[in-house]
Amino acid sequence: MSTDPNNIESLVNRRYAHGFVTDIESDSLPPGLNEDVVRAISARKNEPPFMLEWRLKAYRHWLTIQEPEWAHLHYPQIDFQDISYFSAPKSDKDRPKSLDEVDPKLLETYDKLGIPLHERARLAGVAVDAVFDSVSVATTFKEKLNDAGVIFCPFSEAVIEHPELVKKYLGSVVPHRDNYYSALNSAVFSDGSFVYIPKGVRCPMELSTYFRINAANTGQFERTLIIADEGSHVSYLEGCTAPMRDENQLHAAVVELVALKDAEIKYSTVQNWYPGDENGKGGIYNFVTKRGDCRGDNSKISWTQVETGSAITWKYPSCILRGDNSVGEFYSVAVTNNMQQADTGTKMIHIGRNTSSTIVSKGISAGRAQQSYRGLVRVMPQASGARNHTQCDSLLIGKECGAHTFPYMEIKNPSARIEHEATTSKISADQLFYCRQRGISEEDAVNMIVNGFCKEVFKELPMEFAVEAQALLNVSLEGAVG
Amino acid sequence: MNVSALDQELFAAVIHAMPSDELSPVRNQAANQFSSLGFPTTRDEDWKYTNLSAAAEISNAWLRNRMDAAAATPSLPPPEVARPEILNQMDAHWLIIRNGSIDSSSLAELQNSLGPDIEFSKLSEQTDSTHINIDDPMSAMNAALLIDGLRLQVGANVEVSKPLGILQIDDPSQQASQIRIVIDLGENSRLQVIECALSADSGMQFSNAVTEASLARAATLEFVRIQTRSEQHIGVNRLIASLARDATLRHNAFDFGGALTRNDISVNIAGENAAAHLHGLYLASGKQHIDNHTRVEHRVGPAISNEEYRGVLNGRSRGVFNGQAVVFEGADGTDANQANHNLLLSDHAEIDTKPELEIYADDVKCSHGATVGQLDESSLFYLRSRGLDQDTARHLLTQAFAAGILAKLAVEESRNYLVDILDRRLSEVLDAG
Amino acid sequence: MTNILEVKNLQARIAGNTILNGLDLTVRAGEVHAIMGPNGSGKSTLAQVIAGHADYEVLGGSVTYMGKDLLELEPEERAREGVFLGFQYPVEIPGVNNAYLLKAAVNAKRRHNGQEEIDAFEFLKIARERMALLGMDASFLNRGVNEGFSGGEKKRNEILQMAMLEPTLAILDETDSGLDIDALKAVANGVNALRDPERAIVLVTHYQRLLDYIEPDHVHVLSKGKIIRSGDKTLALELENRGYEWVQEAASA
Repeated sequence: MSTDPNNIESLVNRRYAHGFVTDIESDSLPPGLNEDVVRAISARKNEPPFMLEWRLKAYRHWLTIQEPEWAHLHYPQIDFQDISYFSAPKSDKDRPKSLDEVDPKLLETYDKLGIPLHERARLAGVAVDAVFDSVSVATTFKEKLNDAGVIFCPFSEAVIEHPELVKKYLGSVVPHRDNYYSALNSAVFSDGSFVYIPKGVRCPMELSTYFRINAANTGQFERTLIIADEGSHVSYLEGCTAPMRDENQLHAAVVELVALKDAEIKYSTVQNWYPGDENGKGGIYNFVTKRGDCRGDNSKISWTQVETGSAITWKYPSCILRGDNSVGEFYSVAVTNNMQQADTGTKMIHIGRNTSSTIVSKGISAGRAQQSYRGLVRVMPQASGARNHTQCDSLLIGKECGAHTFPYMEIKNPSARIEHEATTSKISADQLFYCRQRGISEEDAVNMIVNGFCKEVFKELPMEFAVEAQALLNVSLEGAVG
Repeated sequence: MNVSALDQELFAAVIHAMPSDELSPVRNQAANQFSSLGFPTTRDEDWKYTNLSAAAEISNAWLRNRMDAAAATPSLPPPEVARPEILNQMDAHWLIIRNGSIDSSSLAELQNSLGPDIEFSKLSEQTDSTHINIDDPMSAMNAALLIDGLRLQVGANVEVSKPLGILQIDDPSQQASQIRIVIDLGENSRLQVIECALSADSGMQFSNAVTEASLARAATLEFVRIQTRSEQHIGVNRLIASLARDATLRHNAFDFGGALTRNDISVNIAGENAAAHLHGLYLASGKQHIDNHTRVEHRVGPAISNEEYRGVLNGRSRGVFNGQAVVFEGADGTDANQANHNLLLSDHAEIDTKPELEIYADDVKCSHGATVGQLDESSLFYLRSRGLDQDTARHLLTQAFAAGILAKLAVEESRNYLVDILDRRLSEVLDAG
Repeated sequence: MTNILEVKNLQARIAGNTILNGLDLTVRAGEVHAIMGPNGSGKSTLAQVIAGHADYEVLGGSVTYMGKDLLELEPEERAREGVFLGFQYPVEIPGVNNAYLLKAAVNAKRRHNGQEEIDAFEFLKIARERMALLGMDASFLNRGVNEGFSGGEKKRNEILQMAMLEPTLAILDETDSGLDIDALKAVANGVNALRDPERAIVLVTHYQRLLDYIEPDHVHVLSKGKIIRSGDKTLALELENRGYEWVQEAASA
């Protein structure tokens, strides 16, 4: 027998499927960051003064703080003056009024990404907002959403069309002072998606944004704000890809979710930024702040993420369970292969009474990758009846990877019931042999077992994403088993 | 954040006035180390939940007293104190460490009774003191201010017949004591230790103890630590253990007293088939603060580590648990388990728990779990339906919860004493409401 | 009759312990063989070596299956060629749907044989038929592979897999252990239904009990890694009455 299932080794990785560059003239600011750059971004977007003031406040705060070092991540120092903070396809000046006006090359890009804006969106009933480099290029299904009273538009448009909503909610979940990257994002964010679901409305379709970094030396700093007003319901999907480039690119996004009384937000992410090559060259540095605020009673926020891309991932989608009986969920599959590093997890802050949270984290580490789960469950003194269940499993494939678990539990109320379980193991030789004895190849068996391992999370994904996620998982792990 | 730090000038003066002996080079090195590191602060990840500023205050007062006393009378005769009752409650040979000083009559007695099995030597008389660990700030402080410590060597194949008792007792107020014991177990040897830490005075005290244990091939160390310090005592304790092939460490930590207690256990699994079993129980009420940190480093495999800590917290007390299991690259066959369970009984009590796994090898089985909760309602109801009143039922169930750790007791000779003290302490904690 | 399996002078070890010491066995199409023997005699080792478990090292001898050198093949190739091992302790694979594994296995074999893959509809139809035959509940298909199955359910699941994969050579390792009488009968019915002139079945068992329900053509007694006695079904009864020591003594005499 040539293969010893005890000795699963790394092979060559398949090439990143989304690594093409779109040849579009773009209008970029030169690299570098100062107040003038912040002003220039604001000016290009014709922002009202309140927005510029907000940005400048954030920028000034950013100057006073240090990059965090506590994560289990190793990467060379980022030169923030070497990054261009704004890049837009040139045609931005006359923004497309409809899909027909969108640059065909851009549409081609989305086709390659598997997001045909018109076809698939219509078929799948998904409304798509696509953010290319820093600018939102097309939002589909606007009319149908308008009828329901749902606002789904590029962030830059919301600033102009719905300033009162932006003023009220922007920074109310992730204040600009929150952390280093959120401060940076607040200063220079270029675009993103804005969603408002009015009282009592069940959003008639899944909303979706695809993010793509195209231009070289560009950072992407999008900002997403979703407000679910009382009794409303929305499911939102986010996908990300980037071209293959030898240099690292920075992505520092902020996502804020607000769920008012009886509202529910389901936020799903399939993150497949370029992870770098097998030697760790290139790839996206993904430093993202995502937080949801269950502001009203009986509200619910559910995060589901499938993280397969990025050279570095630093991301903790969190829930502040402020309303009584509010519910927070975090379902995560993170796959790291080759030289990828991920430090990801969640925070569940229990403040209201009878709040509950569920955390299911499945980490798969292969090659020479390092992955950490970092989580915080905090039960405040007034949060009587808080419940948390955390299940945190890691699967190791190969001898050179690492899997780490850092769960913090800070419990200040005696009626809390908190359970945390974590396991780390490799794919068992018995499971592999069993599958192979049934005629299934080793690679298929590994995919099957890994998919089974992730099942609890995949079942939380909307159908069309679940299929994509499973396929991505197999591609990401391709070559991890020999 | 710390509001106070050590008075550097006083510290330097006291270091300067320390006796000149074999420990001098280590003291100076450690003093430099501690001067640059300072007391840990809550900004240090390892000390996030535990604030040592009160320890710094006591230490400053003690340093001042010490300078004054040194000026008045160069050497203080140790005060005569009656033999503590606890020595009669457990069948062991006792070493007494009073206010950080080794009681010479108890040492002489020990040398008589255990002499053939254990070789005792004072660290101040050891020509080679390079092995003294000063890696972390508190161990550095310990070495810098150490008047003397004791080294115990158990020869190969020796099974020490009776447990060694170590009594750490502090009596004056404003006392800051440093204690260091170094244990070397030869191949295939076995030693049992019962360590009792108590206060004979209710004044403000700070003790900083370091135990270093080195277990040669197939050696066994069974160690029970029972801490019943006073309500104003701040205790920092560190056990640093290294396990060679087939060696076994069984450690129990029972923390019942103290205002603020911080225990660190750091185990280095350096040989195949070594095993570390760490079990702890903490009961706290009032404003007590009990922090247990453990770190097991699996450098080779196969080997096992098993760890379970349980806590009962009432009043305004706070429990902290941090268990780290680190599996190094190549440590295949590691089996590491960790658990921390807590009963939170009051609106103002708090637990901060963080069981960590850091794993760099793939052929491993590691798991950890943590729970925070209350007594099981259906069990309570069951007992009450059998005629027990609420308090008795609660007491019984809490006792059962604690018994899970008692079942892992490593030194049988300590059982009766422990059961007795546990029962009393449990009643106090439950009644403190 | 064609020889399906020919084992000659097979020697194998695991973790440095030699378990098989020159074992010979020939199994022809249409036959049912029972291999009996005390614990540690090498019964399971024989089954694992034939299936190709990597922990077992073949030191010498040969295993020929349908005229091919079986030891040259990877475990999945053996399976696709028609070798089926019913495990003594079927492993749980959490999250992996039973139907999914079965369909993947069936199609892997079909591809190997140049047949067209079957679609989900057809697969389910066949699976339901076979399950009815085994008295299995249809919900089995939607559960994780052996996940949370009772001992009896796991063994029935093995027989279901055998029924779906239609092997040429089926080796059932202690399929009777841990079964109550109803489960034993169900499993035996399943096996009997699969008896076929083209197929050979090897039952590895400790007790005679299973043979009350599945009548073997040949019975072999394994001891210390060798077959020390072969006979017809009466040998099993005699063993039941006189114990293994009797054959062992007879063999060493």
